[in-house]
Amino acid sequence: MGKQVRMFLKAALMISLGVVCLTGVASAKEVMYLSLADYTGPIAGLNVPGDMGLEDFIKDVNAKGGVDGVTIKFIGIDTRYDVARAVSAYKRYRRTPRLLMVNSISTGIGKAVAPLIEKDKRLQMVPGDGEFQAHLGRSFIWGPAYQDAFAAMMDWVMADWKKKGKSGAPVVGYLSWDNPYGREPLRGGKEYAEKIGIKLLPPEFFPPGTLKHDVYLTRLANAGANYILAGGVDPTPTNIIRDGYNLGLTKTIQFMTDYWGPTALGIGVHAEALEGTVIISFFQRGEDARNNPVVTDLWKRYRGSMDKFNEVYGMGMSWGMTYLAGLKIALKAAGYEKLEADDMYKAYQKLTGLNKYDIQGPCAYSPTSRLGSKLVKIYRVKAGKIVPITGWREAPNAVALHTF
Amino acid sequence: MKALKTIILTLVLPGLVMGSLLFAGTSYAQEASVEVVPAETFLSPALIKQPVTFKGNGFVPKEMISIEMILPEGVTIKGVGPGEDVGIAMGNADEKGSFTAAMQPTATLNWFFQVGWTPLLTPNFKEAKPIPPGDYKIRATGLDSDKVAYSTMRIVPPPKKKE
Repeated sequence: MGKQVRMFLKAALMISLGVVCLTGVASAKEVMYLSLADYTGPIAGLNVPGDMGLEDFIKDVNAKGGVDGVTIKFIGIDTRYDVARAVSAYKRYRRTPRLLMVNSISTGIGKAVAPLIEKDKRLQMVPGDGEFQAHLGRSFIWGPAYQDAFAAMMDWVMADWKKKGKSGAPVVGYLSWDNPYGREPLRGGKEYAEKIGIKLLPPEFFPPGTLKHDVYLTRLANAGANYILAGGVDPTPTNIIRDGYNLGLTKTIQFMTDYWGPTALGIGVHAEALEGTVIISFFQRGEDARNNPVVTDLWKRYRGSMDKFNEVYGMGMSWGMTYLAGLKIALKAAGYEKLEADDMYKAYQKLTGLNKYDIQGPCAYSPTSRLGSKLVKIYRVKAGKIVPITGWREAPNAVALHTF
Repeated sequence: MKALKTIILTLVLPGLVMGSLLFAGTSYAQEASVEVVPAETFLSPALIKQPVTFKGNGFVPKEMISIEMILPEGVTIKGVGPGEDVGIAMGNADEKGSFTAAMQPTATLNWFFQVGWTPLLTPNFKEAKPIPPGDYKIRATGLDSDKVAYSTMRIVPPPKKKE
């Protein structure tokens, strides 16, 4: 009899524990973050460290109990840089409760998903397409728009030209991918360059995947370029400058890149060719990133040795910081039970001035701005390291100069 | 008078209702369909320039269409989780609810050939693992209407080279 009672009690206890566990699972409070990423495709080299930073940041938030007990679930989709796959993945997740934000890794994906984001009253983050600032909607860009950064680079060119005691107008060449991203910097950037008296050569566009860039570089050099801005996502800009170096052009022409120029990735392969290259960035790079304790502490905690550190990790952390701050506001406004994606959209517009621990400038999102920040910093490759040559400075508003 | 009321109620009203139902937006009532062009193909680099294309009708005007390949059991694709379908093309319906969507080069390379990518952003065919020949179910979904249409794409082995 005693044995039977003990068995009954054991069974009752197990059932009770099971019920408690199930109830616990059912009552877990969770919000979602969807990354339409590229982990094994052409831009994986930069996207992987970016999402590593984001994931580690989220893990850290969750380990500390989340936001008032609400944890964040990261959903990473490997689109392999393919728009159709990204649209299909968004379709799969668009009705997920409390999917508060989508990060689209390419300009093409962002533009394709944007109409659905609008219909679903959600928000997405996209790289740097100025059109999203020109026509305010639910797409928020990571930093200043591409054309704003281009304009800031033109300011630096003008100052550098004068500093060297040169007369007349500097001649600038631009080459990049033949796609929406490649053309975007000139939509407002071209107008800005002309406005400040820079002679901009006809741009050279080439298909992603081009092996050699000699033809384009030679054409720009023969047209008298004093400066050349190499676009594309690394390693493309690194390879352009490598070709320039092999042609002997880096001796007479100052090479520059946009946000997606060399990181630890490019420097590790072509340090000699990249020496002297000037890079504009909205996030900390090179030595700056390696000396930022907020970034390196998280890396060391989750990834260990700094040997494989890439500065894009910090940019991923910055995405997480924005999401966390938005979530806090959205939860306060709506409460967990009534929380909808639209609450996050409203919250992002209240993030003006959010401190990103110098990983990038203060957040500039507002009801009239979709810019992740307004500040850029200019770096130079010196002795195989990426070092800052300016402090943070506000990028001009080149978006306003273009008719979209 | 009573007889007239009865005639109206039993014949005219149902007729009007049926008529209006039939008349109301043919595109909404029309069943969605999708066709794979060509329905049968073999994997070759020619698909980059002459890609597999999808044509459909019966969707809601102007809505976005997502074309997905449903993977048969045992077939895995790099970057795609188990049980996931793969988006291989997208398009927009016209005013009549019809669409044409061709596979972009990245889609053909990633999902048919499963290439690797070199640091130069060029496809690496040495790492390619083409999907096996067989019948692949294709689904077209209207992203406003949720209308769904199915078709089949047959991938056949490449023709043997002549000696």
